Amino acid sequence: MPTHLTRIIIVGVDSFMKRLILMCLLLVGFDVAYADRAKSSFEAANKARDTGDLLQALDHYEAALNSEPNNLKYGNDYRQAVVQINQVESYERCIAFFEKLTTQHTKIPNVWMNFGYAYVDKIPVEGAITQVLLANTALGYFSKALELEDSWLGHYTRGNSYLYWPAIFGRTPLAIEDLEKAIALSEKEKKSRSFHVRPYVGLGEAHWRLDDVTKAREIWKSAAKRFPDNEDLKKRLSMDDEALTAFLTTHFEPGKRVNTDLNILWEEEQQ
Amino acid sequence: MGKRMVSKHVCYTGCWIFVVAVILSWAQVAAEDNISQAAWFKDVSVSAGIDFKHTNRSFDNAYGSIMEGYTALGAAVAVGDYNADGFDDLFVTDSKESGKNRLYRNEGGFTFTEVGEIAGVADGNDAVNASANALWFDYNGDRRLDLLVVRFGRNLLYENQGDGTFKEVSKRAGLSHPYLNCIVAIAFDYDLDQDLDLFLGNYFQAVNLFNPSTSKFFPESFETANNGGGVTLYRNNGDGTFEDVTDAAGIRLSGWTLDLGHADVDHDGDDDFYVAADFGTDRFFLNQGDGTFVDVTEQSVGIDTKKGMNTDWGDFNNDGLFDLFVTNITDEYMREGNFLWQNNGDGTFSDVARETGTYDTGWGWAGKFLDFDNDGWLDLFTVNGWVSGGKANYVVDIFELIVQPGIDLSDATNWPPMGDKTLSGYQENVLFHNQGGMLFKNEAARHQVNSKLDGRGVGVADFDNDGRLDMYVSNANAKPFLYRNVQPTENHWVQFMLEGKGVNSAAIGARIWVTTQEQTLVSFVNGGNGFASQSTQKVHFGLGESDRLENVRIIWPSGKEQEFKNVQADQIYLAVEGEKSLSQFKSKK
Repeated sequence: MPTHLTRIIIVGVDSFMKRLILMCLLLVGFDVAYADRAKSSFEAANKARDTGDLLQALDHYEAALNSEPNNLKYGNDYRQAVVQINQVESYERCIAFFEKLTTQHTKIPNVWMNFGYAYVDKIPVEGAITQVLLANTALGYFSKALELEDSWLGHYTRGNSYLYWPAIFGRTPLAIEDLEKAIALSEKEKKSRSFHVRPYVGLGEAHWRLDDVTKAREIWKSAAKRFPDNEDLKKRLSMDDEALTAFLTTHFEPGKRVNTDLNILWEEEQQ
Repeated sequence: MGKRMVSKHVCYTGCWIFVVAVILSWAQVAAEDNISQAAWFKDVSVSAGIDFKHTNRSFDNAYGSIMEGYTALGAAVAVGDYNADGFDDLFVTDSKESGKNRLYRNEGGFTFTEVGEIAGVADGNDAVNASANALWFDYNGDRRLDLLVVRFGRNLLYENQGDGTFKEVSKRAGLSHPYLNCIVAIAFDYDLDQDLDLFLGNYFQAVNLFNPSTSKFFPESFETANNGGGVTLYRNNGDGTFEDVTDAAGIRLSGWTLDLGHADVDHDGDDDFYVAADFGTDRFFLNQGDGTFVDVTEQSVGIDTKKGMNTDWGDFNNDGLFDLFVTNITDEYMREGNFLWQNNGDGTFSDVARETGTYDTGWGWAGKFLDFDNDGWLDLFTVNGWVSGGKANYVVDIFELIVQPGIDLSDATNWPPMGDKTLSGYQENVLFHNQGGMLFKNEAARHQVNSKLDGRGVGVADFDNDGRLDMYVSNANAKPFLYRNVQPTENHWVQFMLEGKGVNSAAIGARIWVTTQEQTLVSFVNGGNGFASQSTQKVHFGLGESDRLENVRIIWPSGKEQEFKNVQADQIYLAVEGEKSLSQFKSKK
């Protein structure tokens, strides 16, 4: 028989546990409700996008992200809709949206990632100097995301961004550092993904930028053993030095659109 | 035996003939190969006596550490036959405070005599003025070329006295506005009153650059700056004076103008013009024919944010319409690309620089159309490079400047000192050979015109009247080049010197069509197009294999038309407005 005191404790514990359980249930319910709301907004966004109403789609994507800000895919599809519209106003809307989201959710890495990508997306519609400013700002946000979460995507994205800077700016060694970290992280993963080839491609390009084409080829050749069917590696390895330089110079033109669509991350998972 | 000997002899003879024929044909092929591989331009600046070095301006004020690099301009050339002897002369600018401008009188045979001091046109630089450019034009209709010296500061107009001397008449002409900070001038008859009006492109706003009262006179933005000098249009009153009609003509701008170029783009009888602007949008104005222009930039070429440096008009694809070449900045850190605006004939233009291979000429300056091999297709020569200094690269400093949040770029004190640093330096000039109107191939190295000096202007002219276009290249802080064209092709050519009836005696703006059995080509008398350089006022056509013109058609600025049939090629002709026949120019030297 429990003593009075024990009973009080038990009752107390019972009461505490009940409250705790209730609170947990409420929180879970709250989260589920948010997730549900985010999902339904995302579905509505996709529907609007598929019917060609891109502005409507943006509203829904923003609603989805407000409910689930760390959802990389929601942010990705939102940005791709903006790219599809390809108007300065839409890029500015997207940047303003993520800016607000980062002030509300300062510790959520994917908000910062998407914020950075939003800057990259705007580059082609701006002049040469603004392009530099946008690219530089994006780098800052990718770094912020990496401070919050050390990830393959973070290192690959930032490393790849550094590659667009001419060697004179001294950022190529930083690209090498990031791309090597991305490679190290991918090698730790149980399952190899086709997109894990990308930092190898970039790492070779970084050495090309430093005028070490031999090293670049060594990296690509080594990567080709792991990714024998990769077309990017094949293409680079098939070119002589002159053709390679012409190709990569064009490839890294600052004003060109960089494909920031991350859907490959999820598509492969579904296969 | 005898038969055998004869036959043997025939055989030996035949063999020898064969061997000799082979050797001869081999020698001919080798000789042709040597000709085709040899450079077609030869720098004769030293033997011609014109190799004086240009020097950039230094500034003894609080902004001197940035101003010298920033204004590394002023190496300009103006080609014009000031003594009317049929040979084009040269006026060349210096920019340092004690620097003398040069007038080189063409003595024929690629020899020149410097007569700047004697002529009274040498003093273009002093403590409060720096020469930036020059323009020959007959402002008063006395059929003698007068000279405008364009300056950071106050411009100078010299009236040609006809005796080898000039008299400064700027004030009397109403052109003595202080501190227009002009960098380009062209002249054409925009209002069709038969005299030449003056279009000035001003780089800085109207401040005394040598002792500025404010530090805020630098571009406020790299892409949309609107605090530059814009343009000024001086209408020729026909009495030796000019009047500022910029507002009345509808061309008030406030950008950082670097070049102006005119042509009758829509063949409606009046000249339109393009404004190449640094740090912002170039502008294209259509002449309404009533003394006003309309800005059609948005619908014709669109809004750009590039660094327009040069404008030159020419029909590069031989479709009868004038196209436009504009240089911009293209380097590893900023890949703007040039514009080659193909005239679509419907008021719009398409940029075909990428498609034609003319996109990248570095940090571009003057880019001129010329048919250097007389094959009937306009080629392009462009000079480039900003400042070729020491190993340190100034672009890093620029980058640090622009990424500062809220930085006021218009404030010169915010700009890092340039010192001996390099910015887009050591770039090779480019000679684009037109491959038939669709593609250009760089042949600068082959023809040894791929200098890495910091080129600014290109004066194109046939200095020895041999039917091959030569080039004078001005370089900042360096000696110039005088490239004599020695191309060995037997392609035919024709040139025209035009004489109009009105005050516009050189018939600036007159259009000429020449028709051969193969094609019709069009060109016009140019009133100074191209950065830091005025080319010849003669009109040159390469004719390829055609040794005769079936027809020559001229539309004069007055609107009158004349046609001449069955004209022999390989001649320089004088065409006088209203006269029934062309007369051949006979060299006096």
